[in-house]
Amino acid sequence: MRKELVQENHGIALTTLFILGNASVAALGGYAERDLWLSFLLAIAVASIVVTIYSRLRSLLPGENLFEGLECLFGKWPSRFLSLAYAGYAWRLAGYVASDLSDFIRTISLRNTPKIVIVLGFVTLAIWGVKAGIEVLARWSSVFIKAVLAALSIAFVLLLTRVDLLEFLPVLYNGFKPVVLGALQLLDFPFLEAIVLFWAFDQFTTKQSPYKIFLPGLLIAGFILLLLSAASIAVLGSELYRYNYFPIFVAVSRIDLANFVTRLEAVAGIAFSIGGFLKIAVCLLVASKGLAYGFGFSKYRFLVTPLALSIIPASQWLIKTIMEFAGSANKVVGPSDFLFQVLLPLILWGVAEIKMFSRRKSNFYGTTDDQ
Amino acid sequence: MIVLIILSHLTIGAIELYLWKEHPFMETLLYLLLLLGTTIFAVMLAINPELPVPSFFNGLAKLWEKLLVWRGSL
Repeated sequence: MRKELVQENHGIALTTLFILGNASVAALGGYAERDLWLSFLLAIAVASIVVTIYSRLRSLLPGENLFEGLECLFGKWPSRFLSLAYAGYAWRLAGYVASDLSDFIRTISLRNTPKIVIVLGFVTLAIWGVKAGIEVLARWSSVFIKAVLAALSIAFVLLLTRVDLLEFLPVLYNGFKPVVLGALQLLDFPFLEAIVLFWAFDQFTTKQSPYKIFLPGLLIAGFILLLLSAASIAVLGSELYRYNYFPIFVAVSRIDLANFVTRLEAVAGIAFSIGGFLKIAVCLLVASKGLAYGFGFSKYRFLVTPLALSIIPASQWLIKTIMEFAGSANKVVGPSDFLFQVLLPLILWGVAEIKMFSRRKSNFYGTTDDQ
Repeated sequence: MIVLIILSHLTIGAIELYLWKEHPFMETLLYLLLLLGTTIFAVMLAINPELPVPSFFNGLAKLWEKLLVWRGSL
């Protein structure tokens, strides 16, 4: 089987779009209210450390690809069980994103369209993308990120005409606790969902590539979300921001330049749809790869269609109403998310460091004994 | 609705299997099992849209609460 190799700049585009994904219109870090910008800075700093750990773990793995590396380090059955667990996590995340997308589209325009019809369109596209492979998805991202960045930049610049910077004052009025809670919300969704990408890439050009892909991708997406969310708070006020389902979308819809440049909310909608599609595709890819490896197959493409079809009912099952969507986006720390995003990677990293250290040590003494 | 779901899954499966160049036994078996699971899942959701989502951690929390009640009764 041909190993798919992703170039670093394409990988950065993929990571950025994945993190922006369904987060680009949601109410992020609402707990922090007017101190949201502080929560963002804290969350970006913590997420950078965690993503560096993911990258370190990925660069430690021996072998040509991820699954060979995991098998070398942890043995056949633990690595298969692990990949099945992450396949389940990615499948669930794909269901959530599909549900978010359909809820968003139904709320803003297609009110009477059944959820299944909207999800079907995105899932069909995702099947196509996943069957083409991660390399094609990354190249697609490198093209479409330009459109998304242009759209979001226009929205941000025009939002500046409506901002009221007094909305950020007084700073830390409620103390540091809401800032920490807001940062935890942001870490849970969307920053540490990037763990899924760790399973998506087959192999990298160099051992340093994981650092060069994941960290810049996280930082770019983080600062875009920070600017958009902060601008939305400055336009809407912290109360409206917190209790709105799609505050960035609502803030962009208020742009009005001399009754001429109006109705720019479609711009935010397009960015959300592009990012959401990519996130579904990457989650579907990881679910297919994880399931195939878990059952001992080297190819994954034959599993894509049935798994994609299962995302359609999953999107109706996991989140039934838009209030549940708001609840899932605003939770502080989900136990399963904490397990997959922080606990398991930390354990894997610890085990990998110890095993690689003991291997290097035995190799060193082995060579000195031979001499 | 249920008939429509089953028919659509069957059609997609049949077309995709027809388009495969080779039909290795294990791959075909896993594909069919997964498609069957997906169809059952979709049908179950069509019959009961309020199908509860199982939560491992909520289950643990409930078990812990029951254990506390049981210990309190001793």
